[in-house]
Amino acid sequence: MKKLIAVLLGTVLMVSGCGSPKATGGAKEGKYSSDTLKLYNWGEYMGENLISDFEDQFGVKVIVEYFDSNEMMYTKLQAGDAYDVIVPSDYMIERLIKDNALMKLDKSKIPNISNLAEGLPSTDVDPENDYTVPYFWGSVGIVYNKNTVPKELIEEEGFNILKNTDYKGKIYMYDSERDSFMVALKALGYSMNTEDEGEIEEAYQWLKELNDTMQPTYVTDEVIDNMMNGDKDLAVVYSGDATVVLDENPDMAFIMPKEGTNVWSDSMVIPANSENPELAHEFINYVLTYDASYGNSETVGYASSNQEVLDEMTAQGGLYYENEAYLPRTGYEKDEVFKDNAVLKQKLAELWIKVKASK
Amino acid sequence: MKQFRNMAYPYVVWIAIMIVLPMLLIVMYAFTKKGNDVTTFRFTLENFTYFFSDPIFIDVLERSLVIAVLTTVICILLGYPVAYIIANANPKAKTMLVLLITLPMWINMLVRTYAWMGILQDDGVINGILGYFGIAPIKMLHTSFAVVLGMVYNFIPFMILQIYTSLTKMDKSLLDAANDLGANKLQRFLKVTLPLSLPGVISGITLVFLPAVSSFFIPKLLGGGQYVLIGNVIESQFLTSGNWNFGSAISLIMAIIIMLSMYIAKRVDKDTSAKTGGAK
Repeated sequence: MKKLIAVLLGTVLMVSGCGSPKATGGAKEGKYSSDTLKLYNWGEYMGENLISDFEDQFGVKVIVEYFDSNEMMYTKLQAGDAYDVIVPSDYMIERLIKDNALMKLDKSKIPNISNLAEGLPSTDVDPENDYTVPYFWGSVGIVYNKNTVPKELIEEEGFNILKNTDYKGKIYMYDSERDSFMVALKALGYSMNTEDEGEIEEAYQWLKELNDTMQPTYVTDEVIDNMMNGDKDLAVVYSGDATVVLDENPDMAFIMPKEGTNVWSDSMVIPANSENPELAHEFINYVLTYDASYGNSETVGYASSNQEVLDEMTAQGGLYYENEAYLPRTGYEKDEVFKDNAVLKQKLAELWIKVKASK
Repeated sequence: MKQFRNMAYPYVVWIAIMIVLPMLLIVMYAFTKKGNDVTTFRFTLENFTYFFSDPIFIDVLERSLVIAVLTTVICILLGYPVAYIIANANPKAKTMLVLLITLPMWINMLVRTYAWMGILQDDGVINGILGYFGIAPIKMLHTSFAVVLGMVYNFIPFMILQIYTSLTKMDKSLLDAANDLGANKLQRFLKVTLPLSLPGVISGITLVFLPAVSSFFIPKLLGGGQYVLIGNVIESQFLTSGNWNFGSAISLIMAIIIMLSMYIAKRVDKDTSAKTGGAK
């Protein structure tokens, strides 16, 4: 819901910090090719002061546009729109690298890269950070109501608890083919990157059965508010959204199911057609600072890519101390990162509308 | 006269580019499939057999038609009396009332539908008022009720205006004649007013049924993610699964169904005007 509104607004350019008084900065000293940075990011994905602080500190102007899906972002890039920094997810970065659409990073201009946390999911796609610098990372799991769903039960049943008829009509599923099929494939013990027709068909039947027997509600961003209110007992949720839910409603808990789940990262990249790569490097470096990264994580609830921030947030007395959703599990072998496969994605999309349409 | 006719050419060109060409593209997409590297398209009926062989799609189609028919019927039942009242109001009030009917249409449909979400949701306006009287919140958003309500709300002005126009064009002396011949009020309405206003009702049906059967954002916003109508299936073919061929095929099937129903409506219209002696 919020994302939808963000997209409606997103088509209108959001020029923040117009007429900043300190607009004397870098450009005039010839450091950057211009003093405007064009940033293309997810809606609701930045700390409150991230942009204005960066503008003040460097005397530049940032133009932000928002997207609500990697595919939408990709379409705009293909249409030739030029941005200086974008923040896509791993599988989309994989595709962009294949397309030669990204610029190689000059790591000497990003000294803060040493702040990066170790072992992030992004290392799957770009192990040496040649093109990418992680922005946020997270997982997909289940938010459940501790009072109605026993912890042992959900640990035992994993994703299959979504088909436990005790919770009929009390389930939120995430309305996206990628995440729903991930849940189904994992519940069946398959890889979420499978191309095996038989496995996909089984997953389709799994979802259809869930649809026909459990009366699930398919939601996207409204899941956050609704679970804060405790509307349902179980919900498939992104970890950052879950962090916010758990923060507001002490009855809620979060679990990354035993069958393994999707772990992902969204990283900053510089498109090959960037008009201001110098400033883009400066921005990436800035996001990696402790203050900027803390602000982002504090507002949005996703796990920071900055090790120091992660430590601070999860330490005793930290903002997300004892919040199970904030820090995704690492090193669990059944967790996977999505691979880019446009053909498969189309097929899943086709099956997904059929799942939802069946009554 | 001839030079005036020439002035129509820009419009003919406009129609060709903006209406005929897209229609042809849809037909072309519907009967083709993405080919291999050598041929970009190959002719096939696969898109249609896929649609008709899967009971899910037939179910969705049926659901969409039921919702659209229901919407149209409610629009007639509510719209006819309103149109009748406006048509018989004094001239000053008439202008005002017509203005009031059209006023909401000045605001974008999407915005107005969003407003309904705020009104209907569990902690929305209606449930807030009910709460004052100690009534537990009623689930309205994400139900068929909300979808039909949204459609009736959005499309009823088209119905009212059509009926109103045909009622005002009616020759009032016919009523006096009926009166002289001894018809009472009810008889006058049933034998004179109603048949003469039928063309308005028919074109009202066209204008309501058409958008109702293909609407995708009203079910999406008011029905929720699990409320899938045929418009949503078409939308997903174009936007998420990228299967333009199948999307076009469904659009074409819808176009044929709509054309058939229009044809039937026209026939009914002709028959009734023939029966009333073609009073024009």
